[in-house]
This record gives sequence, C-alpha cells and structure tokens, in this order.
Amino acid sequence: MIRTEGLCKSYSHYSRHEVRALYDVHVTISKNSFVVLNGPSGSGKTTLLNIIGTLDRPTAGKVFLYGEEITTFSDIALARLRREKIGFIFQDFHLIPRLTSWENVSYPLIPSGIGFRERFERAKFLLEKMELGDRLDHTPEELSGGQQQRVAIARALINNPGIIIADEPTSNIDEDTSTRVLELLTELKSRGVTILVTTHDFHFEKIADVVYKMKNGRIEC
Amino acid sequence: MNKHINLLLLATENLLRHKAKTIVVCLCIIAILTPFITAIAISEGIRAQSLISLNADADLYLTFDEFGRNAAIPLKYLDEIKKIFGVTKAIPRIIGRAFIQNKLAVIVGINKEDLPESISCISGRIFENPNEVVVGHELAGHFHLKISDQFSMRGQQRKTFTVVGFFSSDVSIWGASMLLMSFKDAGELFGKQDVATDIQIHTLPGHNSEIATDLYDILQSEPYRLQDKQMIGLYFTKGFMLKEGIFSALYIVAFALGVPAILVVSGFGLSERRKEIGIMKATGWQTLEVLELISFEQLLISLLGATIAILLSMLWVKGFNGAFIAQFFVAEITMLPKFTLPARFLPLPCLLSFFFAFLLTMVGSVYSSWRASTVSPVMSMR
Repeated sequence: MIRTEGLCKSYSHYSRHEVRALYDVHVTISKNSFVVLNGPSGSGKTTLLNIIGTLDRPTAGKVFLYGEEITTFSDIALARLRREKIGFIFQDFHLIPRLTSWENVSYPLIPSGIGFRERFERAKFLLEKMELGDRLDHTPEELSGGQQQRVAIARALINNPGIIIADEPTSNIDEDTSTRVLELLTELKSRGVTILVTTHDFHFEKIADVVYKMKNGRIEC
Repeated sequence: MNKHINLLLLATENLLRHKAKTIVVCLCIIAILTPFITAIAISEGIRAQSLISLNADADLYLTFDEFGRNAAIPLKYLDEIKKIFGVTKAIPRIIGRAFIQNKLAVIVGINKEDLPESISCISGRIFENPNEVVVGHELAGHFHLKISDQFSMRGQQRKTFTVVGFFSSDVSIWGASMLLMSFKDAGELFGKQDVATDIQIHTLPGHNSEIATDLYDILQSEPYRLQDKQMIGLYFTKGFMLKEGIFSALYIVAFALGVPAILVVSGFGLSERRKEIGIMKATGWQTLEVLELISFEQLLISLLGATIAILLSMLWVKGFNGAFIAQFFVAEITMLPKFTLPARFLPLPCLLSFFFAFLLTMVGSVYSSWRASTVSPVMSMR
C-alpha cells in the first residue's frame, strides 16, 4: 500500500551547509497494518512521515501509494490525494485558532462543495465519537490539549481516509488521553485503516504490526 | 458551484472573524477613495451644469479679438446683426468683475427682457430702474444684504446701487457670486459705453454657416471672433478634463505613497494566515481554492469599503456641500461653499473605485498567500 525506494531528503534553504534528513530509505507498509516509527529526535521520522503523507517532496527516491508513484504527481493531484485518502494527526494539533471544534473538523470538506448542514452533521458525529459532543462550539483555546488532539483526530477522519498518519500524537497530552488516542487508532485499524505513527510511547509499539527504528536518517530495522 | 458558494460564505465568515483587520483595511480604502469619488462627482456636476447652461444659451458668441483674447465689440453692429436672415435674437452683454469691499463679484449687465428663463428671483424683483441690482444668494449672504440696501463697488464710488431682489439659477454655481444689472448700468460702471463684452446670437437651426458668412461681410475689416456652442462646449470639456487630470495625477501620487501602508495593514496577521494556509493545504485544499478564498475575501472587503466610500462621498456632497474639496474645481470659493454645489455620481467612477480597492487589497494579500500556498504545507505550517 505504501512503499518508498531510495528516499533521500536534504535541506539547504537558509543554511550554507546542506542538512541531510533522510538517506536511502526503503519502507514497505501493507494495507490495514499498524506501523510505528521510532527513534531519537532528529532521526528523520517526521521528514519521512511528511514525504509519505505528500506534505513534502523528497530530494531523491520514489514513493508509491496505492501502487502509484506519487513523487511525480502535480500539486493539484497531491492535494486531491491528501483530501481523499490521507488523514493527518499532528504533534501540535494544528487547529485553526479562530474556528470552533466542529468548524475545524469540517474545514477539509469546504472545497469539496459539501453543504453546511452535512458538514455540521458529519463533524458532530465524529466529535461525539471522540466524546466531545458538548464541545462543538468551543475554540481550541477553550479546550485542553487532549481535547484539541481529539478534535485533530476527528478532522483527520472527516473524509474517511484509508491512511492515517500521526506524528507523535501523544507527546503533548496526558497519559489518560494518550490511552484514549491509542484506543481510537486501534479501532480505526480494526475498520481497515492503515496507521503510520511516529512515537516514543512504548504502548504503541506493543500493539504495532511493524516497528521501524530510525537513526541519522536511516531505517535501522 | 457548491464549492464556490462554500468559499464565498467562508470568506464572509473570515472577514467577520477578523473584525479588527477588516475594519482597518476598510478604513484605509475609505480614506483613499472618499476624496477621490467626491472630487470626481463634483467635477462631473460642474461639467453637467456648464453644459446645461451652454445648451440653454445662444448658438453663436460674437466678440472682438485683441491680442488673441476676447475683446469688447462695438454696439454699432448690433442692428445689422439682428437683420441677418436666420438670426432670431441678438443679445449684447457686459460681463466683468468688480470688488464689493474685499469680495470679487461677477457683474452681468443685460437688458431685462433678455434675461435667461433659468434665472428667477427668489425674493424681491428684477431690476427695472437705473442703478437697481439683483444679487446672487452667496453674495447676499456674505454681506447680509437686504432688499433696498445700497452699496458701491470698491474704487468706483460714482455709482451707488440699490438691491431690489435676490435670484437663484438652475446652474447654482454661476449665480452664486453674481450681480445682475441693466446693460446700461454695467456700461456706466465699467466706463465703457456703446460696447458689449459679447453678443449672444440665437439662430434658426441649420443657419449658422450662412450667418457666419453674413457676419464676415459685416465685420470683414474688424478683428472679430465667432464661436459656436460646440466650440464653447469643447473648451468646457477640455478644461474639466484638465482639472480632473491634474487632480487624478496628484491623487495617484498620494495613492502610491499610501500603498506601502495598505500593504502593511492588509498583511496584518500574515504569519497566522500563512500557518492557516499550511493547514488548509495539509488537509487537502488546492492552491487555487486557497487563492479563490483569499480573492473572495478581498472582493467582499473592497465592495464594502467602496460602498461605504461612495455613501460617505454622497454625504460629503449633499450633507456638507463638498466642504474643503470644492476649491479644487471652483475658483475663488471659500472652503465651505455658500451655494449648493452641483455633483453627479456616475456609475463608471464608482465602478473604478471598487476596482481600485480590489486591486489594492489584492496586491496586499494575494502574493503572500500565493507564496504560502505554493510552498510545501510543512513549510507553511512552521
């Protein structure tokens, strides 16, 4: 379902020195698997996730999603892929501050031309599943970190994606909420969704189908 | 279609959410556009009145030519002119200027029976006897003149005039500082008997060229100047276009100087916006959809700003009579005009104002938004 070949990424925008984040990364992730990427800070986990999730482009190498090489896709095609097939959960939640919970969750549906009522109903359904039914009209600053993360998860699920990519989804939330997030991801996996997570949380490793360890931009095992 | 409606509604919501920014950008647009729309409306109003007065007036204007300028024409030719075939009326006038104390007044000397229909007394009566004058309303207001008050012109104490009436005119701008008196009195006032500053010739339609030929026969040994309505109209139009052009040029300079300020204001909260664009892109928005949203926001804010600017311009002209700005277009008037200033709000300048506003806000936002939406979402979200 997801495959990378010889993936390299280097940054040199604002520095005289080229910083290489990924070296020749080969990864294969099969459909409906729960994959954990771990490794120390700066090992390239987030970069790999961003490239697989089409948020960034590699310097060299190839990425295949659903059997198609996406590194040659146009920006429009990549945006469509993100909208229809991939849901993201970010470490810092990345909610839009002025929007309420349900507006944040339904934001990805706006360019699809879905009407107000349906957007609201779908967002409400997911937020109720996240036990945030009483927080529909709260803005992010009125929510705790754990609640914000659940809003972000609801947003990632709004388009029923086949792949969920989560970048350290529990690093900014308390242990109880971490457990809840883990349960949610497990439930998603049971519904056929492929999960790719970077985390230092050993609870995730316990239930993962595959664990990749990264160091200095390379996959170690 | 639903997508575009969604984006338009979202743009409206975004403007309401960023109230402070919306208000500041709107105020900038209003501050820039209101004087411009007001000035153009006044200019168009004056131009329209000029053309009205021109259309109501004579078909030909006859004067002498001296040093390339209009000069007084002797009245000895008047009877001959009246006899020309096709001439329905020939009206001699004396138009000059004189000071009443410290205020310059336009003196119009014309026989009572030749007064244009557009002039009517709002109080008192038209002059009938020697040394009687009818006064324009601004002049009357300035000197607090009443019926039967007497005054003399500065430096010309030999004649004392009596106010017998106050008049208004369809073309308020010309009548405001005007003094109407008999042709004979005007001649005596300026010490020029038996001449007129011009002779207005009313003609039957289609006879102007024959009349011009006859005038040539009458005046061939004299340096005369004959102008028709179209030529005068052309002078008016050219004059106003020049004034509008000078005003617009000055305004464009001010506008250009103001653009950096607007850019700063409309880029207000840019880092927040950049991050928002990154999130939008990460959740599947395309660059064009992001730009469409931003364009809708600018379109709405421009529409709002320009509409308020047009309404304020109308208030400025109708409520405050074009105070402080009318001086650009009407010579020798005070900052607060004492006559009703003519103004016309035409669709084209209003549309142009909206276009300017849209252009300005787009310049301030689209490039930065485009940059934020064309880099990778990861970069924008940082």
